[in-house]
Amino acid sequence: MTQTSYATPVDELRSMLPQQIGDWSAEAQDRIFDPTTIFGYIDGGAEVYKAYNMKQCFSRRYTAPNGPAIILDIFDMGSSKDAFGVFTHDTDGDEIDMGQDGRFRPGWLNFWKDRFFVSIYMEEEHEAAEKAVFDLGKRVDGIIAKKGARPGILLKLPVQGLQAASVRYLHHPMVLNYHYFISDQNILNISEHTEVVLATYTINGEEARLLLAAYLGLDAADDAYSNFLKHYLPDADRSGMALLENKKWSAIQVNGRLLSIVLDADSRHLAEHLLRSVR
Amino acid sequence: MAEKKRVLTRRDFIRTGSYAAMGSLIGLPLLGRAAGNRNDKSRVILIRDEKVIADDGLVQPEKLADMLDKALKLLFKSDDASDVWEQLFGKNDIVGIKSNVWSHLPTPAVLEEAIQVGLMQAGVKKTNISVDDRSVRRNPVFKNSTALINVRPMRTHHWSGLGTLLKNYIMFVSGPWMYHGNACEKLGSIWRKPHVLGKTRLNILVMLTPLFHGVGPHHFSRSYIWRYRGLIVSTDPVAADATGARIIQAKRNAYFGEERPISPRPLHIEAADVKYGLGNSRADRIELIKIGWEDEILI
Repeated sequence: MTQTSYATPVDELRSMLPQQIGDWSAEAQDRIFDPTTIFGYIDGGAEVYKAYNMKQCFSRRYTAPNGPAIILDIFDMGSSKDAFGVFTHDTDGDEIDMGQDGRFRPGWLNFWKDRFFVSIYMEEEHEAAEKAVFDLGKRVDGIIAKKGARPGILLKLPVQGLQAASVRYLHHPMVLNYHYFISDQNILNISEHTEVVLATYTINGEEARLLLAAYLGLDAADDAYSNFLKHYLPDADRSGMALLENKKWSAIQVNGRLLSIVLDADSRHLAEHLLRSVR
Repeated sequence: MAEKKRVLTRRDFIRTGSYAAMGSLIGLPLLGRAAGNRNDKSRVILIRDEKVIADDGLVQPEKLADMLDKALKLLFKSDDASDVWEQLFGKNDIVGIKSNVWSHLPTPAVLEEAIQVGLMQAGVKKTNISVDDRSVRRNPVFKNSTALINVRPMRTHHWSGLGTLLKNYIMFVSGPWMYHGNACEKLGSIWRKPHVLGKTRLNILVMLTPLFHGVGPHHFSRSYIWRYRGLIVSTDPVAADATGARIIQAKRNAYFGEERPISPRPLHIEAADVKYGLGNSRADRIELIKIGWEDEILI
Protein backbone atom coordinates (compact mmCIF):
# COMPACT_ATOMS: atom_id res chain seq x y z
CA MET A 1 0.00 0.00 0.00
CA THR A 2 1.33 3.40 -0.84
CA GLN A 3 1.23 6.00 1.87
CA THR A 4 0.35 9.45 0.72
CA SER A 5 1.18 12.46 2.87
CA TYR A 6 -0.84 15.61 2.70
CA ALA A 7 0.19 19.09 3.69
CA THR A 8 -1.30 20.00 7.06
CA PRO A 9 -2.81 23.43 7.74
CA VAL A 10 0.39 24.26 9.62
CA ASP A 11 2.53 23.27 6.61
CA GLU A 12 0.53 25.60 4.43
CA LEU A 13 1.03 28.53 6.80
CA ARG A 14 4.69 27.74 7.24
CA SER A 15 5.46 28.15 3.56
CA MET A 16 4.18 31.72 3.67
CA LEU A 17 5.81 32.90 6.89
CA PRO A 18 8.58 35.49 6.63
CA GLN A 19 12.21 34.56 7.12
CA GLN A 20 13.10 38.09 8.11
CA ILE A 21 11.37 40.67 10.29
CA GLY A 22 13.45 43.85 10.54
CA ASP A 23 16.76 42.83 12.10
CA TRP A 24 15.37 39.47 13.19
CA SER A 25 16.15 36.39 11.10
CA ALA A 26 14.50 33.00 11.33
CA GLU A 27 16.77 30.31 12.72
CA ALA A 28 17.55 27.46 10.36
CA GLN A 29 15.28 24.88 11.95
CA ASP A 30 11.57 25.29 12.49
CA ARG A 31 10.02 22.84 14.90
CA ILE A 32 6.67 21.12 14.78
CA PHE A 33 5.13 19.41 17.77
CA ASP A 34 2.21 17.03 18.06
CA PRO A 35 -0.02 16.34 21.09
CA THR A 36 2.66 14.06 22.54
CA THR A 37 5.85 15.99 21.80
CA ILE A 38 4.33 19.30 22.91
CA PHE A 39 5.04 18.25 26.50
CA GLY A 40 8.74 18.43 25.79
CA TYR A 41 8.38 21.93 24.36
CA ILE A 42 6.03 23.58 26.81
CA ASP A 43 6.98 22.33 30.23
CA GLY A 44 4.10 22.80 32.62
CA GLY A 45 1.51 24.41 30.38
CA ALA A 46 1.15 21.85 27.59
CA GLU A 47 -1.91 20.27 29.21
CA VAL A 48 -3.88 23.39 28.37
CA TYR A 49 -3.31 22.91 24.66
CA LYS A 50 -4.05 19.22 24.92
CA ALA A 51 -7.26 19.99 26.81
CA TYR A 52 -8.33 22.00 23.77
CA ASN A 53 -7.47 19.20 21.31
CA MET A 54 -4.34 20.74 19.82
CA LYS A 55 -3.38 19.05 16.55
CA GLN A 56 0.00 20.62 15.87
CA CYS A 57 2.20 23.41 17.09
CA PHE A 58 4.58 25.17 14.73
CA SER A 59 7.46 27.04 16.35
CA ARG A 60 9.94 29.39 14.76
CA ARG A 61 12.62 31.35 16.55
CA TYR A 62 13.84 34.69 15.22
CA THR A 63 17.14 36.12 16.42
CA ALA A 64 18.96 39.41 15.96
CA PRO A 65 22.53 40.50 16.79
CA ASN A 66 21.36 43.14 19.24
CA GLY A 67 18.09 42.04 20.70
CA PRO A 68 16.27 39.23 22.45
CA ALA A 69 14.97 36.21 20.56
CA ILE A 70 11.40 36.33 19.30
CA ILE A 71 9.43 33.08 19.38
CA LEU A 72 6.48 32.51 17.08
CA ASP A 73 4.21 29.63 18.04
CA ILE A 74 1.20 28.80 15.89
CA PHE A 75 -1.12 26.24 17.42
CA ASP A 76 -3.47 24.41 15.08
CA MET A 77 -6.37 23.65 17.38
CA GLY A 78 -8.41 21.78 14.78
CA SER A 79 -11.46 24.03 15.12
CA SER A 80 -12.22 27.68 15.60
CA LYS A 81 -14.08 26.82 18.81
CA ASP A 82 -10.96 25.38 20.37
CA ALA A 83 -8.77 28.16 19.01
CA PHE A 84 -11.12 30.62 20.70
CA GLY A 85 -11.17 28.46 23.83
CA VAL A 86 -7.43 28.29 24.28
CA PHE A 87 -7.25 32.03 23.65
CA THR A 88 -9.70 32.62 26.49
CA HIS A 89 -7.43 30.74 28.88
CA ASP A 90 -5.47 33.95 29.36
CA THR A 91 -7.01 37.18 28.16
CA ASP A 92 -4.98 39.68 30.14
CA GLY A 93 -3.45 42.54 28.25
CA ASP A 94 -4.47 45.43 26.04
CA GLU A 95 -6.78 44.87 23.10
CA ILE A 96 -5.04 45.27 19.75
CA ASP A 97 -6.37 45.24 16.23
CA MET A 98 -4.87 41.95 15.14
CA GLY A 99 -6.34 38.58 14.28
CA GLN A 100 -9.46 37.94 16.31
CA ASP A 101 -9.51 39.46 19.81
CA GLY A 102 -5.80 40.28 19.67
CA ARG A 103 -4.08 41.07 22.96
CA PHE A 104 -0.73 42.50 23.92
CA ARG A 105 0.94 42.64 27.26
CA PRO A 106 4.62 43.41 27.90
CA GLY A 107 6.58 40.71 26.16
CA TRP A 108 3.69 38.79 24.63
CA LEU A 109 1.29 39.24 21.72
CA ASN A 110 -1.46 36.73 21.01
CA PHE A 111 -4.63 36.26 19.03
CA TRP A 112 -6.82 33.55 17.57
CA LYS A 113 -8.02 33.30 14.00
CA ASP A 114 -9.78 30.55 12.09
CA ARG A 115 -8.56 27.33 13.75
CA PHE A 116 -5.26 28.80 14.95
CA PHE A 117 -4.01 30.31 18.15
CA VAL A 118 -1.00 32.55 17.54
CA SER A 119 1.52 33.44 20.23
CA ILE A 120 4.51 35.70 19.69
CA TYR A 121 6.74 36.53 22.58
CA MET A 122 10.12 38.08 23.08
CA GLU A 123 12.49 36.63 25.62
CA GLU A 124 13.01 40.08 27.10
CA GLU A 125 11.19 43.36 26.74
CA HIS A 126 12.94 45.47 24.14
CA GLU A 127 11.70 48.40 22.07
CA ALA A 128 12.89 47.25 18.64
CA ALA A 129 11.87 43.66 19.35
CA GLU A 130 8.39 44.85 20.30
CA LYS A 131 8.04 46.54 16.93
CA ALA A 132 9.23 43.35 15.23
CA VAL A 133 6.70 41.34 17.25
CA PHE A 134 3.88 43.58 16.01
CA ASP A 135 5.15 43.42 12.43
CA LEU A 136 5.33 39.65 12.60
CA GLY A 137 1.86 39.47 14.12
CA LYS A 138 0.44 41.50 11.24
CA ARG A 139 2.12 39.22 8.73
CA VAL A 140 0.74 36.09 10.35
CA ASP A 141 -2.70 37.69 10.62
CA GLY A 142 -2.58 38.42 6.90
CA ILE A 143 -1.54 34.89 6.03
CA ILE A 144 -4.47 33.30 7.87
CA ALA A 145 -7.21 34.15 5.42
CA LYS A 146 -10.39 33.13 7.16
CA LYS A 147 -11.97 34.26 10.38
CA GLY A 148 -13.35 31.66 12.77
CA ALA A 149 -16.78 31.40 14.33
CA ARG A 150 -17.17 31.72 18.07
CA PRO A 151 -18.76 28.79 19.94
CA GLY A 152 -22.53 28.89 19.72
CA ILE A 153 -22.98 28.54 23.48
CA LEU A 154 -21.74 32.10 23.89
CA LEU A 155 -25.02 33.26 22.42
CA LYS A 156 -26.78 31.80 25.45
CA LEU A 157 -25.03 34.23 27.77
CA PRO A 158 -27.12 37.15 29.01
CA VAL A 159 -25.83 40.37 27.50
CA GLN A 160 -26.50 42.83 30.32
CA GLY A 161 -23.53 43.19 32.65
CA LEU A 162 -21.32 40.67 30.85
CA GLN A 163 -17.63 41.36 31.37
CA ALA A 164 -16.35 40.43 27.93
CA ALA A 165 -12.75 39.79 28.97
CA SER A 166 -13.89 37.34 31.62
CA VAL A 167 -15.40 34.84 29.18
CA ARG A 168 -13.75 31.38 29.29
CA TYR A 169 -14.79 28.63 26.94
CA LEU A 170 -13.72 25.10 27.80
CA HIS A 171 -14.55 21.42 27.89
CA HIS A 172 -12.16 20.02 30.45
CA PRO A 173 -12.66 20.02 34.24
CA MET A 174 -8.98 20.79 34.80
CA VAL A 175 -9.33 24.04 32.88
CA LEU A 176 -12.50 24.96 34.75
CA ASN A 177 -10.76 24.40 38.06
CA TYR A 178 -7.90 26.61 36.94
CA HIS A 179 -10.28 29.51 36.41
CA TYR A 180 -12.74 28.72 39.13
CA PHE A 181 -12.18 25.82 41.49
CA ILE A 182 -15.42 23.94 42.05
CA SER A 183 -14.37 20.49 43.18
CA ASP A 184 -11.43 18.11 43.23
CA GLN A 185 -13.65 15.69 41.33
CA ASN A 186 -15.49 16.17 38.08
CA ILE A 187 -18.91 16.65 39.68
CA LEU A 188 -20.29 18.35 36.55
CA ASN A 189 -19.27 15.41 34.36
CA ILE A 190 -17.48 17.72 31.94
CA SER A 191 -15.97 15.88 28.99
CA GLU A 192 -14.74 16.65 25.51
CA HIS A 193 -18.40 16.43 24.47
CA THR A 194 -19.44 19.16 26.91
CA GLU A 195 -19.29 22.83 26.01
CA VAL A 196 -18.79 25.09 29.00
CA VAL A 197 -18.66 28.84 29.21
CA LEU A 198 -17.81 30.76 32.37
CA ALA A 199 -18.28 34.51 32.64
CA THR A 200 -18.36 37.31 35.20
CA TYR A 201 -21.26 39.76 35.45
CA THR A 202 -21.46 43.17 37.05
CA ILE A 203 -24.93 44.68 37.32
CA ASN A 204 -25.76 47.71 39.47
CA GLY A 205 -22.56 47.30 41.42
CA GLU A 206 -23.22 43.67 42.20
CA GLU A 207 -21.14 40.81 40.87
CA ALA A 208 -21.65 37.16 40.05
CA ARG A 209 -20.27 34.40 37.88
CA LEU A 210 -22.37 32.39 35.52
CA LEU A 211 -21.45 28.95 34.23
CA LEU A 212 -23.33 27.38 31.32
CA ALA A 213 -22.73 23.78 30.32
CA ALA A 214 -24.26 22.19 27.23
CA TYR A 215 -24.32 18.39 27.24
CA LEU A 216 -24.82 15.96 24.40
CA GLY A 217 -28.00 14.52 25.86
CA LEU A 218 -30.74 15.24 28.38
CA ASP A 219 -29.60 12.46 30.72
CA ALA A 220 -26.08 13.84 30.92
CA ALA A 221 -27.44 17.28 31.80
CA ASP A 222 -29.78 15.83 34.44
CA ASP A 223 -26.97 13.78 35.97
CA ALA A 224 -24.75 16.84 36.25
CA TYR A 225 -27.62 18.81 37.79
CA SER A 226 -28.22 16.13 40.43
CA ASN A 227 -24.51 15.72 41.13
CA PHE A 228 -24.00 19.44 41.67
CA LEU A 229 -26.96 19.64 44.02
CA LYS A 230 -25.68 16.65 45.95
CA HIS A 231 -22.09 17.79 46.38
CA TYR A 232 -22.19 21.57 46.15
CA LEU A 233 -25.68 22.78 46.94
CA PRO A 234 -27.29 20.15 49.21
CA ASP A 235 -28.97 23.04 51.05
CA ALA A 236 -30.58 24.50 47.92
CA ASP A 237 -34.24 25.44 48.17
CA ARG A 238 -36.90 24.31 45.71
CA SER A 239 -35.82 26.91 43.19
CA GLY A 240 -32.26 25.59 43.27
CA MET A 241 -30.86 28.49 45.27
CA ALA A 242 -28.70 28.54 48.40
CA LEU A 243 -27.03 31.17 50.53
CA LEU A 244 -23.38 30.22 50.95
CA GLU A 245 -21.26 30.63 54.06
CA ASN A 246 -19.60 33.69 52.54
CA LYS A 247 -23.02 35.39 52.22
CA LYS A 248 -23.02 34.94 48.45
CA TRP A 249 -25.73 33.14 46.51
CA SER A 250 -25.41 30.14 44.29
CA ALA A 251 -28.15 28.72 42.09
CA ILE A 252 -28.70 26.02 39.50
CA GLN A 253 -31.25 25.19 36.86
CA VAL A 254 -31.42 22.72 34.01
CA ASN A 255 -33.27 23.38 30.82
CA GLY A 256 -33.06 20.49 28.39
CA ARG A 257 -29.39 19.90 27.60
CA LEU A 258 -28.31 23.20 29.11
CA LEU A 259 -27.23 23.49 32.71
CA SER A 260 -26.96 26.99 34.21
CA ILE A 261 -25.18 27.68 37.48
CA VAL A 262 -24.77 31.00 39.22
CA LEU A 263 -21.71 31.17 41.45
CA ASP A 264 -20.93 33.68 44.16
CA ALA A 265 -23.70 36.17 43.37
CA ASP A 266 -23.79 39.20 45.63
CA SER A 267 -27.56 38.88 46.03
CA ARG A 268 -30.38 36.44 45.51
CA HIS A 269 -31.98 38.91 43.18
CA LEU A 270 -28.92 38.91 40.91
CA ALA A 271 -28.76 35.11 40.91
CA GLU A 272 -32.43 34.88 39.94
CA HIS A 273 -32.02 37.56 37.30
CA LEU A 274 -29.10 35.77 35.65
CA LEU A 275 -30.86 32.42 35.56
CA ARG A 276 -33.92 34.04 34.02
CA SER A 277 -31.78 35.85 31.46
CA VAL A 278 -30.02 32.82 30.02
CA ARG A 279 -31.02 32.86 26.38
CA MET B 1 -21.19 0.66 44.89
CA ALA B 2 -20.69 2.86 47.90
CA GLU B 3 -18.79 6.08 47.28
CA LYS B 4 -15.66 5.97 49.39
CA LYS B 5 -13.79 9.08 48.37
CA ARG B 6 -14.85 12.35 49.94
CA VAL B 7 -15.57 15.05 47.40
CA LEU B 8 -13.80 18.29 48.21
CA THR B 9 -15.56 21.36 46.85
CA ARG B 10 -15.18 25.10 46.93
CA ARG B 11 -17.76 25.13 49.71
CA ASP B 12 -15.21 23.47 52.00
CA PHE B 13 -12.84 26.34 51.36
CA ILE B 14 -15.57 28.93 51.79
CA ARG B 15 -16.51 27.50 55.17
CA THR B 16 -12.99 28.04 56.48
CA GLY B 17 -12.64 31.44 54.87
CA SER B 18 -9.74 30.24 52.74
CA TYR B 19 -10.78 32.19 49.69
CA ALA B 20 -11.22 35.39 51.65
CA ALA B 21 -7.68 36.04 52.79
CA MET B 22 -4.55 35.87 50.71
CA GLY B 23 -0.93 36.49 51.33
CA SER B 24 -0.15 34.60 54.49
CA LEU B 25 0.10 31.11 53.03
CA ILE B 26 -2.40 30.02 55.61
CA GLY B 27 -5.90 28.88 54.99
CA LEU B 28 -6.53 25.41 53.63
CA PRO B 29 -9.60 23.73 54.97
CA LEU B 30 -8.42 21.89 58.01
CA LEU B 31 -9.00 18.51 56.50
CA GLY B 32 -6.93 15.76 58.01
CA ARG B 33 -4.73 18.29 59.73
CA ALA B 34 -1.70 16.20 60.53
CA ALA B 35 1.41 18.13 61.32
CA GLY B 36 0.47 21.77 61.25
CA ASN B 37 0.50 21.90 65.01
CA ARG B 38 3.97 20.49 65.51
CA ASN B 39 5.91 22.16 68.26
CA ASP B 40 9.27 21.95 66.51
CA LYS B 41 10.26 24.84 64.35
CA SER B 42 11.94 24.17 61.04
CA ARG B 43 15.33 25.71 60.51
CA VAL B 44 15.80 27.43 57.17
CA ILE B 45 18.98 29.10 55.99
CA LEU B 46 18.77 31.97 53.52
CA ILE B 47 22.22 32.83 52.27
CA ARG B 48 23.04 35.49 49.69
CA ASP B 49 26.26 36.67 48.09
CA GLU B 50 26.39 39.73 45.88
CA LYS B 51 29.35 38.30 43.97
CA VAL B 52 27.90 34.88 43.19
CA ILE B 53 26.74 36.20 39.84
CA ALA B 54 29.29 38.12 37.80
CA ASP B 55 28.40 41.18 35.75
CA ASP B 56 28.21 38.98 32.66
CA GLY B 57 25.54 36.88 34.34
CA LEU B 58 27.68 33.81 34.91
CA VAL B 59 27.43 32.00 38.23
CA GLN B 60 30.74 31.87 40.07
CA PRO B 61 31.41 28.25 41.09
CA GLU B 62 33.66 28.97 44.08
CA LYS B 63 31.27 31.53 45.51
CA LEU B 64 28.34 29.19 45.10
CA ALA B 65 30.18 26.27 46.71
CA ASP B 66 31.16 28.56 49.56
CA MET B 67 27.51 29.61 50.03
CA LEU B 68 26.45 25.98 50.20
CA ASP B 69 29.17 25.16 52.75
CA LYS B 70 28.18 28.09 54.97
CA ALA B 71 24.51 27.20 54.75
CA LEU B 72 25.18 23.58 55.71
CA LYS B 73 27.31 24.59 58.69
CA LEU B 74 24.57 26.86 59.99
CA LEU B 75 21.78 24.43 59.28
CA PHE B 76 23.44 21.60 61.15
CA LYS B 77 25.29 23.78 63.69
CA SER B 78 28.70 22.53 62.68
CA ASP B 79 32.06 24.21 62.20
CA ASP B 80 32.96 22.13 59.20
CA ALA B 81 30.90 21.47 56.07
CA SER B 82 32.78 18.21 55.47
CA ASP B 83 31.53 16.95 58.83
CA VAL B 84 28.00 17.78 57.77
CA TRP B 85 28.29 15.80 54.56
CA GLU B 86 29.72 12.88 56.57
CA GLN B 87 26.87 13.11 59.09
CA LEU B 88 24.28 13.11 56.36
CA PHE B 89 25.71 10.49 54.01
CA GLY B 90 27.90 7.39 54.23
CA LYS B 91 29.92 5.18 51.92
CA ASN B 92 27.05 2.74 51.50
CA ASP B 93 24.57 5.35 50.38
CA ILE B 94 23.14 5.50 46.88
CA VAL B 95 22.15 9.11 46.27
CA GLY B 96 19.87 10.61 43.67
CA ILE B 97 20.19 14.34 43.17
CA LYS B 98 16.79 15.47 41.92
CA SER B 99 17.54 18.41 39.72
CA ASN B 100 15.44 20.47 37.31
CA VAL B 101 16.13 20.90 33.61
CA TRP B 102 13.53 23.51 32.65
CA SER B 103 15.30 25.13 29.74
CA HIS B 104 14.73 28.74 30.77
CA LEU B 105 15.88 28.30 34.35
CA PRO B 106 17.61 24.99 35.08
CA THR B 107 19.40 24.00 38.24
CA PRO B 108 22.92 25.42 37.76
CA ALA B 109 25.38 22.70 36.77
CA VAL B 110 27.99 24.19 39.08
CA LEU B 111 25.67 23.62 42.04
CA GLU B 112 25.06 20.02 40.98
CA GLU B 113 28.84 19.59 40.85
CA ALA B 114 29.33 21.13 44.31
CA ILE B 115 26.79 18.69 45.74
CA GLN B 116 28.53 15.74 44.11
CA VAL B 117 31.86 16.88 45.55
CA GLY B 118 30.30 17.00 49.00
CA LEU B 119 28.85 13.53 48.63
CA MET B 120 32.16 12.09 47.52
CA GLN B 121 33.84 13.78 50.48
CA ALA B 122 31.45 11.79 52.61
CA GLY B 123 32.61 8.59 50.96
CA VAL B 124 29.73 8.04 48.57
CA LYS B 125 31.02 6.26 45.46
CA LYS B 126 30.81 8.26 42.27
CA THR B 127 28.95 5.40 40.62
CA ASN B 128 26.34 5.61 43.37
CA ILE B 129 25.52 9.25 42.62
CA SER B 130 23.28 10.44 39.83
CA VAL B 131 21.83 13.80 38.83
CA ASP B 132 18.53 13.53 37.00
CA ASP B 133 15.14 15.12 36.43
CA ARG B 134 12.86 13.69 33.75
CA SER B 135 14.23 10.13 33.88
CA VAL B 136 14.29 9.50 37.61
CA ARG B 137 11.75 6.68 37.35
CA ARG B 138 14.02 4.76 34.99
CA ASN B 139 17.36 5.79 36.50
CA PRO B 140 18.97 2.81 38.31
CA VAL B 141 20.60 5.03 40.95
CA PHE B 142 17.27 6.65 41.78
CA LYS B 143 15.48 3.31 41.70
CA ASN B 144 17.95 1.88 44.21
CA SER B 145 18.53 5.08 46.12
CA THR B 146 18.92 5.19 49.87
CA ALA B 147 18.92 8.98 49.92
CA LEU B 148 17.79 11.95 47.86
CA ILE B 149 18.92 15.55 47.56
CA ASN B 150 16.37 17.94 46.13
CA VAL B 151 17.68 20.99 44.29
CA ARG B 152 15.90 23.38 41.94
CA PRO B 153 15.34 27.06 41.15
CA MET B 154 12.12 28.69 42.31
CA ARG B 155 9.80 30.11 39.68
CA THR B 156 6.19 30.97 39.14
CA HIS B 157 4.28 28.16 37.51
CA HIS B 158 1.18 27.94 35.37
CA TRP B 159 -0.61 25.19 37.30
CA SER B 160 0.83 25.24 40.78
CA GLY B 161 1.47 28.94 41.23
CA LEU B 162 5.07 28.20 42.07
CA GLY B 163 7.62 25.66 40.90
CA THR B 164 8.85 24.50 44.28
CA LEU B 165 10.94 21.84 45.96
CA LEU B 166 7.71 20.02 46.70
CA LYS B 167 6.71 20.14 43.05
CA ASN B 168 10.13 18.99 41.92
CA TYR B 169 9.18 15.43 42.88
CA ILE B 170 6.35 15.25 40.36
CA MET B 171 8.64 13.27 38.06
CA PHE B 172 8.57 10.42 40.58
CA VAL B 173 5.03 9.56 39.44
CA SER B 174 3.92 8.13 36.12
CA GLY B 175 1.03 10.55 35.58
CA PRO B 176 2.13 14.07 36.57
CA TRP B 177 -1.02 15.59 35.04
CA MET B 178 -3.09 13.76 37.65
CA TYR B 179 -1.71 16.18 40.23
CA HIS B 180 -2.69 19.40 38.46
CA GLY B 181 -6.15 19.73 39.98
CA ASN B 182 -6.82 22.55 42.42
CA ALA B 183 -3.50 24.25 41.73
CA CYS B 184 -1.58 21.00 42.28
CA GLU B 185 -2.73 20.86 45.89
CA LYS B 186 -1.97 17.12 46.12
CA LEU B 187 1.73 17.33 45.32
CA GLY B 188 2.58 16.50 48.91
CA SER B 189 1.11 13.04 48.48
CA ILE B 190 3.99 12.16 46.14
CA TRP B 191 6.41 12.56 49.02
CA ARG B 192 4.59 9.79 50.86
CA LYS B 193 5.01 7.23 48.12
CA PRO B 194 7.21 4.28 49.12
CA HIS B 195 9.99 5.01 46.64
CA VAL B 196 10.30 8.58 47.96
CA LEU B 197 9.18 8.46 51.59
CA GLY B 198 11.82 9.47 54.11
CA LYS B 199 14.71 9.55 51.66
CA THR B 200 15.23 13.30 51.28
CA ARG B 201 18.06 14.53 53.46
CA LEU B 202 18.64 17.94 52.01
CA ASN B 203 16.57 20.52 50.14
CA ILE B 204 18.17 23.40 48.26
CA LEU B 205 15.92 26.02 46.73
CA VAL B 206 17.95 28.00 44.23
CA MET B 207 17.16 31.71 44.48
CA LEU B 208 19.99 33.01 42.31
CA THR B 209 17.72 34.36 39.54
CA PRO B 210 14.14 33.42 40.43
CA LEU B 211 11.22 33.95 38.06
CA PHE B 212 8.50 36.00 39.74
CA HIS B 213 5.97 36.28 36.92
CA GLY B 214 5.24 34.43 33.69
CA VAL B 215 3.64 35.22 30.35
CA GLY B 216 2.65 33.23 27.30
CA PRO B 217 2.57 29.52 26.61
CA HIS B 218 6.09 29.12 27.94
CA HIS B 219 5.43 31.17 31.05
CA PHE B 220 8.74 32.92 30.69
CA SER B 221 10.28 36.28 30.03
CA ARG B 222 13.72 37.40 31.11
CA SER B 223 12.05 40.62 32.17
CA TYR B 224 10.62 38.75 35.13
CA ILE B 225 13.74 37.19 36.57
CA TRP B 226 16.00 39.10 38.87
CA ARG B 227 19.38 38.58 40.46
CA TYR B 228 18.44 37.78 44.01
CA ARG B 229 21.71 35.85 44.45
CA GLY B 230 20.49 33.49 47.14
CA LEU B 231 20.09 29.90 48.24
CA ILE B 232 17.51 28.58 50.68
CA VAL B 233 18.64 25.41 52.41
CA SER B 234 16.68 23.23 54.81
CA THR B 235 15.82 19.67 55.70
CA ASP B 236 12.17 20.78 55.59
CA PRO B 237 11.02 21.28 51.98
CA VAL B 238 7.78 22.94 53.07
CA ALA B 239 9.55 25.55 55.16
CA ALA B 240 12.07 26.22 52.40
CA ASP B 241 9.29 26.61 49.81
CA ALA B 242 7.18 28.80 52.09
CA THR B 243 10.17 31.06 52.63
CA GLY B 244 10.85 31.27 48.91
CA ALA B 245 7.17 31.97 48.27
CA ARG B 246 7.24 34.95 50.58
CA ILE B 247 10.20 36.37 48.72
CA ILE B 248 8.51 35.88 45.34
CA GLN B 249 5.33 37.51 46.65
CA ALA B 250 7.28 40.47 48.00
CA LYS B 251 9.08 40.87 44.68
CA ARG B 252 5.79 40.82 42.75
CA ASN B 253 4.31 43.47 45.01
CA ALA B 254 7.41 45.64 44.66
CA TYR B 255 7.67 45.23 40.89
CA PHE B 256 4.01 45.82 40.07
CA GLY B 257 3.57 48.52 42.71
CA GLU B 258 0.51 46.82 44.14
CA GLU B 259 -0.54 43.62 45.84
CA ARG B 260 -0.23 41.04 43.06
CA PRO B 261 -0.93 37.59 44.52
CA ILE B 262 0.88 34.61 43.07
CA SER B 263 -1.63 33.04 40.70
CA PRO B 264 -2.88 30.42 41.13
CA ARG B 265 -2.34 30.33 44.86
CA PRO B 266 0.41 27.82 45.68
CA LEU B 267 -1.97 25.73 47.76
CA HIS B 268 0.34 22.76 47.62
CA ILE B 269 2.73 24.37 50.10
CA GLU B 270 0.03 24.76 52.72
CA ALA B 271 -1.39 21.33 51.92
CA ALA B 272 2.04 19.74 52.35
CA ASP B 273 1.95 21.11 55.88
CA VAL B 274 -1.59 20.70 57.12
CA LYS B 275 -2.73 17.77 55.01
CA TYR B 276 0.35 15.69 54.38
CA GLY B 277 2.45 16.59 57.41
CA LEU B 278 5.66 17.12 55.48
CA GLY B 279 6.82 20.24 57.27
CA ASN B 280 6.01 23.74 58.40
CA SER B 281 4.58 26.40 56.11
CA ARG B 282 3.74 29.06 58.65
CA ALA B 283 6.29 31.79 59.29
CA ASP B 284 5.88 31.48 63.04
CA ARG B 285 7.00 27.86 62.79
CA ILE B 286 10.10 28.60 60.76
CA GLU B 287 13.43 29.58 62.29
CA LEU B 288 14.77 31.66 59.45
CA ILE B 289 18.48 32.42 59.59
CA LYS B 290 19.62 35.03 57.12
CA ILE B 291 23.27 35.52 56.28
CA GLY B 292 25.26 37.37 53.68
CA TRP B 293 24.19 40.16 51.35
CA GLU B 294 21.21 42.04 52.78
CA ASP B 295 20.36 44.43 49.99
CA GLU B 296 16.69 44.13 48.92
CA ILE B 297 16.37 40.87 50.80
CA LEU B 298 12.55 41.16 50.75
CA ILE B 299 12.01 39.02 53.84
